[in-house]
Amino acid sequence: MKKIYFMLLLSLLFVLAACGAEETNPESDEEQQEQTEADAEGETEEQEGQSQERVISHEMGETPITGTPENIVVLEFSYVDALAALDISPVGIADDNDSERIIEPISEKIDDYTSVGTRKQPSLEVISSLQPDLIIADLQRHKEIYDQLNDIAPTIVLASLSADYQGILDGFEVIAEAVGKEEKGAEVMQAHDEKMEELRAQVPEDEERTVLPAVVASSGFFAHDDNSYTGSLLASIGLDNAIKSGDERYNKINLEQVVEFNPDVMFHMVAGDETVVDEWEENDLYQGISAVESDQVYEVNRNMWSRFRGLISSEQILEDAIEHLYGE
Amino acid sequence: MKKLQKEKSIMLLLCTIVVLVTIIGIGVGAVFIHPKDILLSLAGVDIGPNGFIIQQYRLPRIIIALLAGSSLAISGAILQGIIRNPLASPDVIGITKGAGLAAAIVIILFPHAFILARPIAAFVGASIVAILLYLFAYKTGLRPTTLALVGIALGAICHAGIQFLLVKFPVDVNAALIWLTGSLWGKGWEDVWLLLPLVLILIPLTVALALKLDILNLGDDVAEGLGEPVGITRMVLLFLAVALAGSSVAIVGSLGFIGLIAPHMARQLVGNKHRLLLPTSALVGMLIVLVADGLGRGVMPPVEIPAGIFTAVIGAPYFLFLLKRLQTKS
Repeated sequence: MKKIYFMLLLSLLFVLAACGAEETNPESDEEQQEQTEADAEGETEEQEGQSQERVISHEMGETPITGTPENIVVLEFSYVDALAALDISPVGIADDNDSERIIEPISEKIDDYTSVGTRKQPSLEVISSLQPDLIIADLQRHKEIYDQLNDIAPTIVLASLSADYQGILDGFEVIAEAVGKEEKGAEVMQAHDEKMEELRAQVPEDEERTVLPAVVASSGFFAHDDNSYTGSLLASIGLDNAIKSGDERYNKINLEQVVEFNPDVMFHMVAGDETVVDEWEENDLYQGISAVESDQVYEVNRNMWSRFRGLISSEQILEDAIEHLYGE
Repeated sequence: MKKLQKEKSIMLLLCTIVVLVTIIGIGVGAVFIHPKDILLSLAGVDIGPNGFIIQQYRLPRIIIALLAGSSLAISGAILQGIIRNPLASPDVIGITKGAGLAAAIVIILFPHAFILARPIAAFVGASIVAILLYLFAYKTGLRPTTLALVGIALGAICHAGIQFLLVKFPVDVNAALIWLTGSLWGKGWEDVWLLLPLVLILIPLTVALALKLDILNLGDDVAEGLGEPVGITRMVLLFLAVALAGSSVAIVGSLGFIGLIAPHMARQLVGNKHRLLLPTSALVGMLIVLVADGLGRGVMPPVEIPAGIFTAVIGAPYFLFLLKRLQTKS
C-alpha cells in the first residue's frame, strides 16, 4: 500500500518537474545563446578583467553571476577542496567550528578564513557580515535557507553530501564556471585525469580483492557501498566494492552483514575513541572476515576519506589506499 | 476580587519579562548588539550593519519564537483541559509525531521537492493524526482516557516510521534531524507571514472559548447537566489545539516539552481558570522558546544549537520535579 502511495507521489512529482522544465526551457536556451554570444565577444574582455554575466545552472535553478567572485563563502568541505584546486581561498567556511577538520594538503593552500559555524546550521549573520559575492551550498543541508542565502549573495547549490565520485567531478566543473575560472578548471581536471590514470596503472589488472570503506563509530559501522563517494572512487581505479547491490549509501550494517559481504580489504574511518569494532574484535565471526583473517584492515583519516569529497582529497585517498595495498 | 488582582499583576509581570527578554534576545548571537541600539533600530533609526542583522535575521526569528511558543503552550493547555490529564500535550497525543513523520518523508525521500512542501506536509501529518484520533475515539464519545491512549498509540506508530526512515537513510537524515529536534535556525520573514495569520485567528478564538474548558473540567456529567454539548465542544477544542500545534510545528519542527510544561508552570502561577490560564501559558511558552533559542545562538557562536535541545534540557527536569510533586500530593 505504502509503495503505491510513493509511486503516485513520485509520478506526480515527475509531472510537476516536467511542467516546470517545459516552462523554463525556452528561457534557458535564450540565456545560453546570450551566454555563448557573450563568450564569443567576451574572450578578450575576460582577460581585461571586465565583468560579464554568466548563468550558472545548479540544483536549485539558475543563478546569474557577474564578474569574478572574490569573497566566496562555502558551506561544505567539498567546495573548499574545489576552490583550493583552483587556487582560490574562501573567506568563510562552515568548518563545524573546528579548523582541524580541514585536511593538510588543503589547509596549506588556503589563507585564513572565518568560520561560519556548522555545516548543518551555518550562521546567516556571520555569512552576511563577510559580505560575500558568491555562496556555495549543499542541496540536502541548505535547501531551506536558499532564499536567505540568495538575499546575501548569488548562491549556487550543489550535491555534495549525496554525490558519488562522478557527481563531485560534475560539481567541480560548475564551481569552476561560477568563479569564472573555466580554463583553469579544465587544466586542473586534465591534471586530475592524468593523476588518476597514473594511480590506476598502479593497480594490477588481475586485482580481485573486494574492498569496503566504512566509518566506524561507537554508534555503528557505516559501510560506504559501490554508490557512495568513497566506494565509487575506489571502484574507478579497479578496486571493487564488497557491497554492490546496496540501494542506499552509507548504510549502517551489523556484524552479520559485514560477514556476509566478506570484504577482502577494509578501510576503517575511525570516529571517536571507542567503536563497535572494538567489541566485534572479540567475536569469532569478526575474526573470520577475509580482511581480518588476512590482516588487511587499515585505519584511515576520516576527514580525508569521507568529509572532503573533492579532487585533491580523491587523489590523496587513492594514494593512501595504494600505499596500504601495494606499499612495503 | 482581590485575588484576581494578584493574578493580573503576575500576568503583567510576565508580560514585562517577555518584552525584556525579547529585547535582550535580539542582541544575542554571533554579533552582540547593545539593547540601546536594538531599541533605536526598532524605532526605525539606521544603526549601520547591525541594523541589517536585526531586521533580516534576528527579528523574524524572535517573532517566530513568540508565535510558536505561545501556540504550542496554548495547544497544550487546551489538551490538558479536554483530556483532563495533566500529562497531555501535543507531543504526547501524537500530533507532533504525525507532523514529524510527514516532514521526515518529504525531507528524506524528496530532497528536490519545493521548499514549502515540508511545512505543508507537517501540517497535513498533524491533521491526519488528529482525524484518526477522532475516528478511533469517537465511538466512546471522545472520553478523555480513550483520547489519550489512542493518541499515544498513534504517536508510537509515527515514531516507528520516523525511526525506520532514520535507520534506512542514515546519510539523508541531517536535515531531518534538525527539524525533528526543533530549531529556529534560518527562519525568515516568509515563515512569519505563514504563521502569523493562523496564530492571530486561532489564539483569540481559543481564549474566547476559555469558559467552555472550565465547564468541561467539571466532568462530563456536570457539563452535560449545565447544557453543554460535551462531544461537540470537545471536538471544536481538539481542532483548535491541533491547528495551533500543527501550524507551529510545521514551521519550527517538533520543539518538545513546551506544550507540556508551559501550562503547568502557568497553573502554578494563576490557577485553573482557563480565562487566565490560557494567556499565561502563552506567555510562559513564549519565554521558554525565547530563552532556548537565545541560548542556542549565544552559547558558542557561530555554532548554532537547535532550540529543541534546550527546551528538552529545561523541560525534562521540570517534568520530573512535577511528577515527584504529584506523587507526594497523592
